[in-house]
Amino acid sequence: MSAAIEVEGLSHVYGGTVPALEDISLRVPAGRFTVIVGPSGCGKTSLLMMLAGLRTQTRGAITCLGKPIPQPDPERVGVIFQEASLYPWLTSLENIEFPLSLRGTPKGEMRRRAEAMLELVGLTGFGGRYPHELSGGMKQRVSIARGLVQDPPVLLMDEPFAALDEQTRMTMGHELLRIWSTTSKTVVFITHSLTEAVYLADEVLVMSARPGRIIDRITIDLPRPRTYEMMATDVFGRLRDRIWRQIRKAD
Amino acid sequence: MPAPATVRRALLVALLVLWELVPRLGLIPELFLPSMSKTLLVLWQDARIYGHAVLITLMEVALAMVIACGGGILAGAAVGGFARLRNLLLPVFSSLYAVPIVILYPVFTAWFGVGSESKIAFAGIYAFFPVLLSTAAGIQTIDPQFLLAARSMGANLRQQIVRVVIPASLPTVFAGLRLGGALAIIGVVVSEMLTAAAGIGYLVTLNRTILDSPRVFAAILMILLLSIAYYLLSRALERRFVVWQSAGKPLQLAQSPTQSAV
Amino acid sequence: MKVIVARLALLALVLAAWQLLPSRGLVNPLLLPPLGDVLQMLGELVQRAQVREALAVSAAEVLLAFLIAVPLGALLGVLIAEHDYLGEVFKPALFVVFAIPKSIFLPLFILVLGVSFQQKVAYAAFTTTFVVLMSAAAAVESVKQDYLLVARSYGATQLQLVTRVYVPSMLPLLLETLRISMIFNFTGVLIAEMYASRTGIGHLIASWGENFQMKQLFAGVILLAAAAILFNETLRWMEHRVSTWRA
Repeated sequence: MSAAIEVEGLSHVYGGTVPALEDISLRVPAGRFTVIVGPSGCGKTSLLMMLAGLRTQTRGAITCLGKPIPQPDPERVGVIFQEASLYPWLTSLENIEFPLSLRGTPKGEMRRRAEAMLELVGLTGFGGRYPHELSGGMKQRVSIARGLVQDPPVLLMDEPFAALDEQTRMTMGHELLRIWSTTSKTVVFITHSLTEAVYLADEVLVMSARPGRIIDRITIDLPRPRTYEMMATDVFGRLRDRIWRQIRKAD
Repeated sequence: MPAPATVRRALLVALLVLWELVPRLGLIPELFLPSMSKTLLVLWQDARIYGHAVLITLMEVALAMVIACGGGILAGAAVGGFARLRNLLLPVFSSLYAVPIVILYPVFTAWFGVGSESKIAFAGIYAFFPVLLSTAAGIQTIDPQFLLAARSMGANLRQQIVRVVIPASLPTVFAGLRLGGALAIIGVVVSEMLTAAAGIGYLVTLNRTILDSPRVFAAILMILLLSIAYYLLSRALERRFVVWQSAGKPLQLAQSPTQSAV
Repeated sequence: MKVIVARLALLALVLAAWQLLPSRGLVNPLLLPPLGDVLQMLGELVQRAQVREALAVSAAEVLLAFLIAVPLGALLGVLIAEHDYLGEVFKPALFVVFAIPKSIFLPLFILVLGVSFQQKVAYAAFTTTFVVLMSAAAAVESVKQDYLLVARSYGATQLQLVTRVYVPSMLPLLLETLRISMIFNFTGVLIAEMYASRTGIGHLIASWGENFQMKQLFAGVILLAAAAILFNETLRWMEHRVSTWRA
């Protein structure tokens, strides 16, 4: 399997003095779901920003689909943030169309593609609603639809479900896997929740506290499609336990 | 308990009734409180004069708004948007806010005379600082993630400004226009009352000195109607264009500490 | 630190311009006397009995109006904040009231009380009451329901709720109320004095303006501005001291 994302010896220093990331090297194969976990402040969000081209690292190389990514490239990489950051003056549909409208896509095509995405995330019929009329989970779905509308091969997600309650989180995680399984996208997903990490991932990368380094790579061998019942199994518990121990060591 | 709106309307009607009856029944001398009918009659008779005066006042208000809102919103956006400027200037401006601008009015009359220029200059400056402060505060409430999201979607600088910053700033701009207009009206009316030869505020003073109470009240009534009309108009425009912002949020008293009490 | 230096530099620049532009003739010194002359005049003025009397009268008006408006406005504000029904009835009306120039009621005060000390105090108190009312209501509303709930669940009496929760929670906002109300109070007094009065510093400034005595006028402006800023910053400092616990 070829690598969708390759990071080689990446280091980053804030403001010239505070080391944030130290010698990160990783390889995300195409079509895989990779989850990054780590203590607060370990730099995982910064790393994601760099993978997205939103921030430049002090040292090291990032290759995404064979090319470097010095600035955002939404047709290559879609980004989903923790706060849905939907524009309140646009309807759900218009929010999803937004990236297309930046490129001057014709109206008919925009509408068609946006509605397809709306259906994909299970929100058919809610296109005319404004963000303030939507629940937290629905807003995140729209945010995901927006990130998917240009069909980027790579999807980066920064704790997208952190602001949701536990039950919604589980539903959303399940939904995300469903959507992902119908495409062959590469996903890099950040979370604080160990359960979420094991449930979603093919591989979990554990980061240390600042300055962030990768201290463990754990392959999640559970079969797909993942089910809620798997969460009660021994295997699941052991994997989660292993991650937890690594994180505690890291502190 | 009756609906609040009904109570308000009932109180208003009661007020109007009292306005008519109390002077008529001689409970308060007509000199202090002319009856509503007398006031309206005089307004009708001198409609030309009052209409002309209102037009002059409106003209002065409009020009003052250009200074206060045009300048205040742009300056407020700059100060609010750029951290360096904000840290440097915002405390200075909010300290200056403590100074009663009215002390500058004699300066403006000395410089510009008693004509419209001094009114426009005074009201413009009077409304400028509150609009600046309000806009600076409002700009800071814009979610910084908006621009991050836009960048991640590949928006260039022009697109970021036109498609994100401007729509996100609309509520603040509208609030600035509402505030600036209200304060401009207040500033113009005060300065017209103090030293002027024209305008609706001038009519208040003129008729007071000759003790023509019905005409004084007629002028006061016109000013009341003018300021209430502006308030309702700007609120309606705000609701129409910025529906997504105020949706579901009740009016907060804490939102308007910079409104004037003059 | 750098910011303070930058601000001082800005101030110095403004003051220097005020001195140099008129004294070099770049700006008409008859319209804008150089800062040095103005400060000199200020020194003279402060020693004149006429000016001192005027300042005393104005100070008295400001103080008295404040003493009337603050309790009255606070009482009304608390009522509106505490009783939802009253709040719903009157709050929208209050917003409209704030859009109206209250100076239009000056002639009414003059009609009833004549041109007098009482009239000016009454007018200033009238305008200031509304500001106090609104700020007080906002202060009461700002006390988090959670705090009250916790206290009540521990059996706090009404008095204890007021003294142990409301007051400490509202203290910074109360100080801010005083600070902002004073700004408007001061403005109200000055307007009343400029409009129709034979005494007070507002009247003096207006007549200096009318008689084109620009040095005196600017001296008066500086004096009043300084007094206003001093009061404001003192209260702001106090606010800061009691609100270190606020986010």
